[in-house]
Amino acid sequence: MSLPSPVPAPLAGPGPGAPGSGGTGHPGDPIDEVEALARLRQSDDPSLQYYAAWWLGRHRSRHPEAVPLLLCALRQRRPRDPGAGVEENAVARNAARALGKLGDPAAVDDLLASLDDEDDGLREAAARALGELRALRAVPVLQRRLASGPSGAGAVRSDSPRLHEPCEAMLEALGEIGVAEAPVLAVIEPFTAHERPLIRSAACRALLQLSGEPCWATELLQLLEHPQLQVRRAALMDLGAVGWRPALEPICRTLAENSLKLIALRGLVENGEHHEFQTEHTAVLQAMDALL
Amino acid sequence: MSTIAARIEAVQQAASAQALFVATRALAEADHGESIDPAAIRCLVEVLGFNNPGAAVAAVDGLIRLGSSAVDPLLTSLDPRNYGARAWAVRALAGIGDVRGLELLEEALATDVGPSVRRAAACGLGQLQLASLEAAERHQVRERALSALVAGCTDGEWVVRYAVAVGLEALGRRMEPLPQQRQRTLTALEALSRLELEPTPVVRLRARLAQQRLQEQKP
Repeated sequence: MSLPSPVPAPLAGPGPGAPGSGGTGHPGDPIDEVEALARLRQSDDPSLQYYAAWWLGRHRSRHPEAVPLLLCALRQRRPRDPGAGVEENAVARNAARALGKLGDPAAVDDLLASLDDEDDGLREAAARALGELRALRAVPVLQRRLASGPSGAGAVRSDSPRLHEPCEAMLEALGEIGVAEAPVLAVIEPFTAHERPLIRSAACRALLQLSGEPCWATELLQLLEHPQLQVRRAALMDLGAVGWRPALEPICRTLAENSLKLIALRGLVENGEHHEFQTEHTAVLQAMDALL
Repeated sequence: MSTIAARIEAVQQAASAQALFVATRALAEADHGESIDPAAIRCLVEVLGFNNPGAAVAAVDGLIRLGSSAVDPLLTSLDPRNYGARAWAVRALAGIGDVRGLELLEEALATDVGPSVRRAAACGLGQLQLASLEAAERHQVRERALSALVAGCTDGEWVVRYAVAVGLEALGRRMEPLPQQRQRTLTALEALSRLELEPTPVVRLRARLAQQRLQEQKP
């Protein structure tokens, strides 16, 4: 599970509202909706578009021009050119992320097309966005891209430490969308034995969301005790996303930042309704109070 | 068992992040007996500035155990340029609950860039200890803490608004506020519990729980 990131990564500077970031014109400065739309509309400076796309998603813009402009930005992608600074592809990725947050089904067609883009970063952003949009039509495409399993889609590329497919995002999207049919479960299941713990975590999360079978929680609870902090954090976020109530005590015991435990516990309250395990909300709230 | 001085030295000599954490925890848990060694407080305050989260958590716990004797060193030795150290100091002061920390807690909740610092400040504002104060000062402190928390209801981060609900409940329960203050507390909690005003379900739930508990309490 990717961690919450308040500032767009490649341009990480002062976020909106950070003190001392006065003045105008710098992509990291606080801006308003009108300015964000204007920056996205121009195409001379992709770095301004990049920040504008992020801004519109972060602030859940309801402006009628937001979605059309983001779709335009998504279509801006082109073959990668590493020397070009903030490339159009980075703008497209941020546009995809923002479209997931704005919740408009009008974005589904373009996001689906992006799932077959050659930029795996864009495929990743599109998969997450389609998950957030609960786009049923994404399920067959995601199934197809993951069908080759851990030794195909999940194999490490020869030119980088990345996998052939952004498996984590795609598995999580299948869990979010919620089609609990046997063929979908069958595509996800082999990834629970992937060599990378983050992929196992994503697969177990999806299966637990779809099937509610406690056996998939076992691996997630074990990952809360993994020696690497990054893995423990991912397992926290995944148990929260599922809303797995029996994880309350293990989450509280996990060696990780209170901020992340609080997000996981919030998930137990807000995402837990569909499970048979109904701990009193008060027990979770009490645990949250103790972490403040 | 090693003496306080030996434990301070172990912190100062620690050669790795893990060693610093272990030594700080040992110092934080030390039994000071009748009189607290000011050097131990200084040492724990210093650890807050080392950019070692594990050790800082241990130091905060230790400073909270030492209570009001740690307040002055925390307030006077703060380096305004070291954001991390300031953030940990806010947590320590929030945990200690001494009214001398009020101004820093108000400022942290209103302006700090870190949500984890604002959330600690919100909690701390609800836990200030007032028993030893004169009635007039007690009233003034309550008023300021309440105003700071009411303003915090519009914070942009859910976790801070959650902490504000917790702070308001604690303020309402432990401080026997005047009827007018009680009403402001309940009004603020009402706003945090309403669907059309508060977007985060868990915040609404926590605010409703706080409302319920305060209403069960005799005014």
